[in-house]
Amino acid sequence: MKFIKSACFLLLILLSINTNAQTADEVIDGYYEAIGGRDAWNKVEGLKYMAKVNQGGMEIPVEMVQIKGGKSYMKISFQGLNLMQNVFDGETLWNTNFQTMKAEKATTEQIENHKLTVGDFPDPLLNYKENGYTLEMVGTETFDGTEAFKLKLTKKPMTIDGNKVDDVEFYFFETESYALIGSESEIMEGPMKGSVSQTKLSDYQEVDGLMLPFAINDGVKDGPSQPIVIEKIELNPTMDETLLAFPVESSTEPAETAPATGGNK
Amino acid sequence: MKKLLLLVVLLVSTNLYINAQSNTTDQSDEIILKGKEMFGDLSARQIGPALMSGRISDLEGHPTNNRIIYAGTAGGGVWKSTNGGASFNSIFDDYIQSIGVVTVDPHDPDNTIWVGTGETWTRNSVSIGDGVYKSKDGGNNWTKIPLEGSERVSSIIVHPENKDVIYVGELGALWGDSKNRGVYKTTDGGQTWENIFYVDQKTGCADLVIDPTNPDILYASMWEFRRTAWSFNSGGTQSGLFKSTDGGKTWNKIHNGYPSGKLGRIAIAVAPSDSNILYSVIETEKAENNGLYRSDNAGASWKKLNGDFGLVVRPFYFSRIVVDPKNPDVLVKGGLFGSISRDGGKTFKDPGRMHADIHDILFDINDSDRMYFATDGGVYRSWDGANTLDMVDNLPVSQFYHLSIDNAEPYNIYGGLQDNGSWYGPSNSPGGIEARDWNSVGYGDGFRVLKHHTKPIIYSEMQGAENVWRYDMTLNQNKTIQPLPVKGDPKLRFNWNAPISLSTHKPDRIYIGSQFVHMSEDMGDSWTKISKDLTTNDKNKQNQADSGGLSKDNSGAENHCTIFTINESPIDQNVVWVGTDDGNVQVTKNGGKKWENVTKNITGLPANTWCYHIEASVHDAGMAYAVFDGHTKNDKNAYAYKTTDYGKTWTSIISEDVKGFTRSIQEDFINPDLLFLGTETGLYITINGGKSWSKFTNNMPATAVHHIEMHKGTNDIIMATHGRGIIILDDISPLRKLTPEVLNKKLHFFDSEPYTMVEESGFGGGSTELQFVGPNRNRNARIIYYLKKRHIFGKMKMEIQDLDGNLISELAPGKSKGINIVTWDYMTTTPKMAKGKTFTFGGFTAPRAAAGKYKVVLTKGKEVYTTDLEINYDQNSVITAAERKQHQKVTKKLYDMSEDLAYQVYEMDQMLAVAEKISADNPSLQKQIKELSTAVTELKSTSVITTGDNYVGAAEPELREKLATLYAKVAGGFEPPSSSELENMALLEERFDEGKKTLAKIKSKQWAKLSKAMEKMSLDIPTWDDKMTFLDK
Repeated sequence: MKFIKSACFLLLILLSINTNAQTADEVIDGYYEAIGGRDAWNKVEGLKYMAKVNQGGMEIPVEMVQIKGGKSYMKISFQGLNLMQNVFDGETLWNTNFQTMKAEKATTEQIENHKLTVGDFPDPLLNYKENGYTLEMVGTETFDGTEAFKLKLTKKPMTIDGNKVDDVEFYFFETESYALIGSESEIMEGPMKGSVSQTKLSDYQEVDGLMLPFAINDGVKDGPSQPIVIEKIELNPTMDETLLAFPVESSTEPAETAPATGGNK
Repeated sequence: MKKLLLLVVLLVSTNLYINAQSNTTDQSDEIILKGKEMFGDLSARQIGPALMSGRISDLEGHPTNNRIIYAGTAGGGVWKSTNGGASFNSIFDDYIQSIGVVTVDPHDPDNTIWVGTGETWTRNSVSIGDGVYKSKDGGNNWTKIPLEGSERVSSIIVHPENKDVIYVGELGALWGDSKNRGVYKTTDGGQTWENIFYVDQKTGCADLVIDPTNPDILYASMWEFRRTAWSFNSGGTQSGLFKSTDGGKTWNKIHNGYPSGKLGRIAIAVAPSDSNILYSVIETEKAENNGLYRSDNAGASWKKLNGDFGLVVRPFYFSRIVVDPKNPDVLVKGGLFGSISRDGGKTFKDPGRMHADIHDILFDINDSDRMYFATDGGVYRSWDGANTLDMVDNLPVSQFYHLSIDNAEPYNIYGGLQDNGSWYGPSNSPGGIEARDWNSVGYGDGFRVLKHHTKPIIYSEMQGAENVWRYDMTLNQNKTIQPLPVKGDPKLRFNWNAPISLSTHKPDRIYIGSQFVHMSEDMGDSWTKISKDLTTNDKNKQNQADSGGLSKDNSGAENHCTIFTINESPIDQNVVWVGTDDGNVQVTKNGGKKWENVTKNITGLPANTWCYHIEASVHDAGMAYAVFDGHTKNDKNAYAYKTTDYGKTWTSIISEDVKGFTRSIQEDFINPDLLFLGTETGLYITINGGKSWSKFTNNMPATAVHHIEMHKGTNDIIMATHGRGIIILDDISPLRKLTPEVLNKKLHFFDSEPYTMVEESGFGGGSTELQFVGPNRNRNARIIYYLKKRHIFGKMKMEIQDLDGNLISELAPGKSKGINIVTWDYMTTTPKMAKGKTFTFGGFTAPRAAAGKYKVVLTKGKEVYTTDLEINYDQNSVITAAERKQHQKVTKKLYDMSEDLAYQVYEMDQMLAVAEKISADNPSLQKQIKELSTAVTELKSTSVITTGDNYVGAAEPELREKLATLYAKVAGGFEPPSSSELENMALLEERFDEGKKTLAKIKSKQWAKLSKAMEKMSLDIPTWDDKMTFLDK
């Protein structure tokens, strides 16, 4: 009897150690298991998101495509016009200028930093070791009201204004389901530099056997954020490569002299 | 993908709304939720201000990157600049906010940062620290180092050749004996520590420096010091300057050249470019011996060079010397105005104009003309060797002692600050709460500031009622009204932070406390003492003239045996509560005729514990809360009590959840069990009358909360923090409704009062890019609900519907465990605009919803939850019901015309597409195609812009643009359309009708002709969406 009690006690201790002392790899193993399995995810060649953003009563359709190997684009539609953003064909990263509606290249530094992430499909965690990243368990933290494992991923250093800086992202996995419910990283350049960007994920739904979040809230920690609602996700979409090429302007339309609205001149 | 999404946010969010997610809590027997779990989306609003900033205790640079600067503050945590001091971000919100030192590890300067907490500039109002923290990622995350127990850390030095060897100088406790003092060393990166230099329980390490060329050499300045609530002592036989040449194993006094006798606080610095040159500023028994001493032989001997005022003033506050990293003869000493020498310490001059009280100085690593100063009023930077200085405008680390509010709309906040005067400013302002929104209403150290309840009069006070101003806002005129001694009076003793309070029953009545309660019924023109001396009147605590130790320091800050809080009952004007700094609680029930000392009825409270605040309850005249702060007796426990019988009995309402000492409390005006407690490390909230407390941390740093008020109209909690300015917790009403039943539900909607669509559309936003701007209260409708679990799996969506179930707006619901708050900006949906070559910005406007009742429908998986929501028009509106109807009618008409036009242009595009498609293969149809194309192209070119860009390359506006501009002008405003707008609409309508007719004609003529010909040739005639389908897409 005493033996059984001791054994039970030992088992309890072991179980509690198991739940309390998760390693970073155990957490992401649990995560991939919960969302369809590593093998299935490794077979995914591309993802296409049809999403919408609501801004002051205006519904803005957004289409995002990401292909294994790094090719990607985002298409935003305003009043029937399409604006391409973050388009990457493997060599060039470019965006449509909102004023002229013409394509403009990202800076050389931004392009080089972007190239460092081409192995991050479908996310930087799946093959982090192969990519040469390091993943650490930080501990547990309350995120969005619920207990979450906090993991720190250190990627290859980026170059910002000529200086090498660490590319670090913190991930939050709910302890009960192992679902990824958010991430945070320091904003490294621009006027918000030094603030923390925060993403919250929810509404996981099945797409061909894989679980994907259909609601994303993105913004600045303790500051403004923007919800993005995903309406449809397509696995292994066909990428229209012609969309990715940096457009060469065929002709220049004559600028007219009428006054316009929408900004200071 | 995250970066793609972030880009979406940056692109479209020119005017973001916060749809905070939230968490909830629960206080039932079954469910105990704390902190973020409990409070969910209830998030604090830090409104600054930063225009006067606050005390900065320490500055630290990066050894190779001059863009990185850290500022440790007296009560506002650690701030990091990544742009050479242009602006700063807070990086230490979750931890105790009083900072002694920040040190960058030279081996890993981008990542490894050490913070020693507990400021070492030991003024009377100084806060406390709780040990040492380390970040391994540049300040994003922190871990506490197992070196606890020290109240103040003066120095952290990482060995320049061995990253695992770290020295920590601990000044230690200010208010009592402590063994946690001296110099500590670790050789394993901070896991284990050894106290390598200890003097006694009264003497701590005030400064520790290392020889940069020989790290075995260390210099430690040891200081014997002690503060009580009524005195300060600097100096003793144990103070001294010590040197170790063996990495801290042994220490020897290096006083050769110093005068004999007791010493006080000693500042020490080694010249980085010549480590034989040392500078020290010493405090001695004789004033003529105080001053700057220099050694040119690494401390073997000293020579006094200078005893200027700027060098010797207030050693406890200014003992810091910083030497130019490149030139050993250039040095700066902290001080009232600071002192700079360029001749090795022989002579000094003041730096340029900046806020007084300089605590630290930082030289740029590349250019010594670029300097940074830590002052009582923020960080200053200079580019010309400190001749001219510029203040950092985005450090909201202001240290309020107290606050009050008024009933204006929006309400104003009034308060005084450490060394930064007294101010009032609004809780909301167009464009955000900017520096220019704040108004000065007092000088010196500011404390209590109160607005007369009915007249444009503000009372404000400085430094022990030295001045109590009665400021007439209309006349812009001051009069000082502090009570003056009259015949027979003893010396009046006013606390440094003397209490003033107003009556809610008699608007002209004021109370001020010395050792007596003084009452005026005529706004301070005449005073009556309505009490005897209510303090202990302990003469041993009234020798402030002798305070200071070796250097006299009788500023008035140590005045003691004084009244500290006076509060008249909001229910019965004859009931007045008084708390004193020496621990008395007194109450009168007859307007001061008789006072009862009820202190003895409080069990568990150590004698003479400072009564910091008494909250006279709105629920019952006999009910009150008393909060006590024992930290000046070295007692850091929390004390708060409640009485319901005029002080006959008291119950402790502190649970073990509360950490740190207490200064303030605020009761909810509706739910007596809902209380807000201000502690030295932040805000705690109870929803069960104090049985358990939960720390509130949502955008609320762990800063000292000195006073709390609640606004009746808005249900806001407003906090005066001593280090992070004013912090507001908007509308806490959901906390009133957290019951065990609610907490056990999967999802629960909280009922809400009707919301008002405020009719304001002013300007604002005059601040520069680097100035702090406090966020405004969100005036949107709030849909508040509790979620028992964080939503993760399955679809969750929220719609606003009218009572017939028509969709009005789609909202993104919060998914957090706990309380979620989703806001609705009253907007419906934007019209679908015709597709042109460019945008029409008027099309980005959505019409506001009409006042009335709506349904909120939340779908979570298969379950549907609904609640009601009511929105009203602004009661202050000058618009009549008929005018409003007209506004809605015209808005709708323009909206519909825009959508009609969109469909017309769509049809034109469809016809053009057909023409283009069949053109090449059907030469026989060229005539019909050309006729159609010409007609459609011509019509389209007047319907919508077909050339140009969105900026100065824009084409002349066509019908779409003109319609959209008028639509946005009308829909975005509040007033009914003007006759000018109506005339313009008539003009556009005419053109619209013409276009419509022309399109109909084209369809019946050119298009019909082409279709017929195509039919003959058996070509497919494409069809396109009808209007409903088009608009729905």
